[in-house]
Amino acid sequence: MMKTICMVLGIIIFLWGQGAEAKDFKFPEITEWKQSGEIQTFVPKTLYEYINGAADLYLAYDFLELKVAEYQNDKKASVTIDVYRHKNTIYAFGIYGQERLPNANYINVGVQGYIESNVLNFLIGPYYVKISSYNTGAEDQKILLTFAKKVSENLGEREVLPSILSSFPEEGKKKNSEKFIARNFLGYSFLHSAFSADYELSGTKFRLFVIEGGDQNDCPNMIQEYLLHTGNLQTRIEEGHFTVKDPYHGEIDFYWKGRYIWGALNLDEPTIRSKYLKLFEDSLQKRE
Amino acid sequence: MSRRDFLKFTAAGLGGCVYLGANEKSLSAEVQEEKEEKIIYRTLGKTGIKLPVITMGVQNSDNPNLVRAALDAGMVHLDTAHYYQRGTNEGMIGEVVKGRSRDSFVIATKESLPKDRITGLYRGGATEEAFLRELDISLKRLGLEYVDILYQHNVWNRETALFEPILKALEKAKKEGKTRFVGVSTHRNEPEIIKAAVDSKVYDVVETAYNFRQKHYVEVRNAIATAAKAGLGVVAMKTIGGWSPEWQEHFGGLGSRGPYLADQGVDARAAMKWVLQDPNVHTIIAGFTTFDQMKLDLSIMKDPTLTTPEKSHLQRAISLASLYCQGCEQCLKSCPAQLPIPDLMRAYMYTYAYRNLTHAQDLVISLNLPDRVCEDCTQCLVKCTNGWNVQRKVRDIVRLRNVPLEFLV
Repeated sequence: MMKTICMVLGIIIFLWGQGAEAKDFKFPEITEWKQSGEIQTFVPKTLYEYINGAADLYLAYDFLELKVAEYQNDKKASVTIDVYRHKNTIYAFGIYGQERLPNANYINVGVQGYIESNVLNFLIGPYYVKISSYNTGAEDQKILLTFAKKVSENLGEREVLPSILSSFPEEGKKKNSEKFIARNFLGYSFLHSAFSADYELSGTKFRLFVIEGGDQNDCPNMIQEYLLHTGNLQTRIEEGHFTVKDPYHGEIDFYWKGRYIWGALNLDEPTIRSKYLKLFEDSLQKRE
Repeated sequence: MSRRDFLKFTAAGLGGCVYLGANEKSLSAEVQEEKEEKIIYRTLGKTGIKLPVITMGVQNSDNPNLVRAALDAGMVHLDTAHYYQRGTNEGMIGEVVKGRSRDSFVIATKESLPKDRITGLYRGGATEEAFLRELDISLKRLGLEYVDILYQHNVWNRETALFEPILKALEKAKKEGKTRFVGVSTHRNEPEIIKAAVDSKVYDVVETAYNFRQKHYVEVRNAIATAAKAGLGVVAMKTIGGWSPEWQEHFGGLGSRGPYLADQGVDARAAMKWVLQDPNVHTIIAGFTTFDQMKLDLSIMKDPTLTTPEKSHLQRAISLASLYCQGCEQCLKSCPAQLPIPDLMRAYMYTYAYRNLTHAQDLVISLNLPDRVCEDCTQCLVKCTNGWNVQRKVRDIVRLRNVPLEFLV
């Protein structure tokens, strides 16, 4: 009985939280700046009107809504704030990760952000916030940071990056190269989503990836389909090691255990490959 | 729109569709299509570049091996933009083309400077120098000395299309050998922008949204014809049309292709082929993200002929479009009674397009409408962007509330 009550309460809180997420955000008031024009709202079917061809990628990351506000001051400078809301924190991280450069000037706003001339972008919860400035002169960075701080406060508590990212082995990992690919990983619709990170070790560049399965059949089904697609037919799929000759990606080494499929791309050196896949396995098993 | 109006509208829409289909052979001859190793090429206007009829729109992909596979399969034209994935898209293409012979691929990129988000007019910082700085960054990311086509990106205002500093920048880029040809891309108000491109005498290419779902596709088609006659190259994009939940539900994912088309059925293929029936379109942009989608596009690249089932599909789709509310919600602002008009239009569509009266009734009842609907307004203030007589449709559909269920089942 208690369990049922807790579950129902949980669902109510969850739904309330989802609603609050969508309704509660308000653009901040900033001293010496006034909002100009109306707040614009874009939904999946109208996003093209605002960012044209780039909209497809946002839709792939389950974009839900964009709110845009513009501010002006007496010096005719302006700041535009775009607040993109995605399905959840992982999808917001996904689109943010597609647009961040590993060598950007990272700052401590939201979960993570970066700043450059006339642009400040950051991630917070299910939101990807993009702030751009115009005619802000020497004060540009200060102004952008002021806006970012206020928007971040209005969007709520800071959260962390998706926890699975901490399972990637640290040695040789390129900082801020982690990505979440929401669909069609490796160009195959049956390999739904995956996390990846880039590595460089003694001049060798490679990529590690992990796919998190849904139900218990998800991982074996994906593997079966992948083997079928690449002409590596295998009737029985069991947990363990697989090597696939992929016509487009070359030889791919991967493992399946429990909810995870993890592997390496562009890593021909067998010793390094084994070492990394083992390191990866150890940290993934801790999550089980 | 009454049912009679609807039938007239549908007939007109189909007329356009059938017209194109019926003239495939003669039009093919006119556009001097060439079959070379089975791939269909068309010449991009006065640029003289021979392009396959399918171009890879790289904007959705972060997969370099997909781009490699497309190039290897003969899809030589890659379309990107300065700000796609904040430049990582151009960087990824740069990696892919490194080491390939420069004349084995055609690269198009687009530059954009800050515009007013409502009017589309450039702001003060939009200078020739700023535009060229953006181009230099693009070239660096791409690892190239020049691009083949450089576009002014996303223009929906004639004044912007003819903005002198940008035109000067485009001409300078061409003179300095940083681009072979220049163009303008447009997603809305396309006919006006295409005409401006012709008038400018500067542009070599236009890249325009063009699909059978556009309410103004006839105007777009006419503008494209004018451009092609003037010698401009014509690249079509958004050929499948925008995404909508209803569309997806009823056409199995005929919407935005990247995320929503898990399987590329006949629908996407038909929509793309429909555009290619226009001889004035030289190539269309396909934004695929899987190898299977790529294979489908390659099949269109080799044979864009519309099949009979594809024609039937398009006819059905065009019929539905005339009953399909775009969901722009502009009506909500002008209705004094604050009626949920988009929902009511959906109920209208369920009734007349899908013949699902119980579904329509359920929806109408769920809206908790006032007792008197559209009876107290002598004149309807709602201006529908579809041009529909909203009051007439609303009055028609709310009658469903009073129909006993047994009459509907």
